[in-house]
Amino acid sequence: MRGKNSLFYHILIFVVAQLVWLSLLGIWIYWYVRNYLVYEKVGEEVSPQLIYDVQNALPFILGLILLIGLSFITSLIFRHLNVQLKITRLYDNFIGNVTHELKSPLSSIQLYLETLKQRNVPPEKQKEFFEMMTKDANRLQSLINSILEVSAHEKGKLAYDYEVYYADTIIKNILEESFERFRVAKENYKIIGKADCEIRIGRDALKIVFDNLIDNSLKYSVKKPFIEVKIDCSHNNLMVEFADNGIGIVPKEQKKIFNKFYRIYSHDIPSVKGTGLGLYRVKELIKTHRGKITVNSEGEGKGTTFRIELPIYRGEKNQLLKNF
Amino acid sequence: MANDIYKGSRILLVEDEETLALGLEYNLIEEGYTVKWAENGKEAVEFYESEKFDLVILDIMLPYLDGFEIAERIRSSDPQMPILMLTAKAESADRIKGLETGADDYLTKPFHLDELLLRVKGMLKRKSWYKNASKKQPNYKFGNNEINFENLNCRHGENELRLTPQEAVLLKYLVERKGEIVTRKELLENVWHLNPEIETRTVDIFIVRLRKYFEEDPSNPVYFKSIRGAGYIFSGD
Repeated sequence: MRGKNSLFYHILIFVVAQLVWLSLLGIWIYWYVRNYLVYEKVGEEVSPQLIYDVQNALPFILGLILLIGLSFITSLIFRHLNVQLKITRLYDNFIGNVTHELKSPLSSIQLYLETLKQRNVPPEKQKEFFEMMTKDANRLQSLINSILEVSAHEKGKLAYDYEVYYADTIIKNILEESFERFRVAKENYKIIGKADCEIRIGRDALKIVFDNLIDNSLKYSVKKPFIEVKIDCSHNNLMVEFADNGIGIVPKEQKKIFNKFYRIYSHDIPSVKGTGLGLYRVKELIKTHRGKITVNSEGEGKGTTFRIELPIYRGEKNQLLKNF
Repeated sequence: MANDIYKGSRILLVEDEETLALGLEYNLIEEGYTVKWAENGKEAVEFYESEKFDLVILDIMLPYLDGFEIAERIRSSDPQMPILMLTAKAESADRIKGLETGADDYLTKPFHLDELLLRVKGMLKRKSWYKNASKKQPNYKFGNNEINFENLNCRHGENELRLTPQEAVLLKYLVERKGEIVTRKELLENVWHLNPEIETRTVDIFIVRLRKYFEEDPSNPVYFKSIRGAGYIFSGD
């Protein structure tokens, strides 16, 4: 709401500024024409031999250029301001989302600590509580890491251990780990195809990519989620395709989802949690692997497909080949 | 442990964070309440429609249906159901929206266990006090206002409106002390069952709402007057 109001005020200021410039321009033309006519008349009367040449039009043209230039600069400033406003709004949303994501596990840890302090909790229950607290602490750690990693990645300070792997084994292993992490039942996903090639990847980086894509499919799904992952090696690329039966993405949004802090809002699922960094991070990680990621969805309610392409490794044969 | 009369009260806990929900469930059960946990908006509505509850603890950010929408649905079917919103959204706009959609109380995460349990007890206490008080005097009139304390429907001149349970409890408390000065501290302790040292603005927000509903000119109140440095006085005719 606050953002909308400030945008309205900025547009208003811009329009008023333009009106002021145009009025000045009008006054300038009026003043020039009026004086020109007077000078011409007086000149003719006083000194008819005086010739009004092109030089007399110079101040007029210079004035016009100056006013048009100022108007153009105002437009540039306005455009810049608009971009800044959008960034500020996205940043505000990000702060709000991160705060929310931090508060939930923190509340849980606080609740268990106070419970243990105030109540006589039986030992087996205590063990359960400690497990819950560890789970929440891990969640906090993973959230903080993801924020720090994005920043480190942007500064070029983040490096993953790249190794050469047999694609079929490593991809299927990481996928199984990710599905297990999100507790996706066997009947809710399917891995098809065979990737009979070698790739050079950072295992941890690819795990982050798969985790994010699976997490999104689960979060943005109204009905029982189903994820189909196709893998294949063709020509020069390894292809990994994630297709889900989720809420889908309208074409207008498809262009924006990889932007930093950008988040989709759907009436069907009003309160999806997240920071708006997931897909941005995915895109950047794929880029560091010299690969590319694209999204395709036929629209709302029609599911989404993410396609990752990574270059097949055809490097030195003596390089270490890992299976997992 | 909760007072015996509230023991066994049924609480619908709507929270999608599993670890937090399990911790809350444990503590509420330890207090003697019966708890049903709904982990998303859809489940909350299903449980609410199929079972009887005495109180609802409601998160806002929920999958499928958010807490505001659930609160509205509950209010439309039961104006007297106590709803406690428990959420990480701490902005005053969210708090106001929560109270406007029908929540009786709003607690932000992270919270203290004692405070949560106190609020739950306070809300159950209020519900039972209100039930008895409204039976004795279900209808009340002042000026061109008419209030039915049982179904919470009110009439201000030609306008009809419905009070939230918290507004009704506050109004009932003031009506019963007509002509007496009631301090903010007293209201917080007896109506909200809150620590007056912590909460300061809540009472004022609710008084403003009552003025908006029942005064001809809310900026020059006739029935709900402020007494500078003391509190409020209700003067019905």
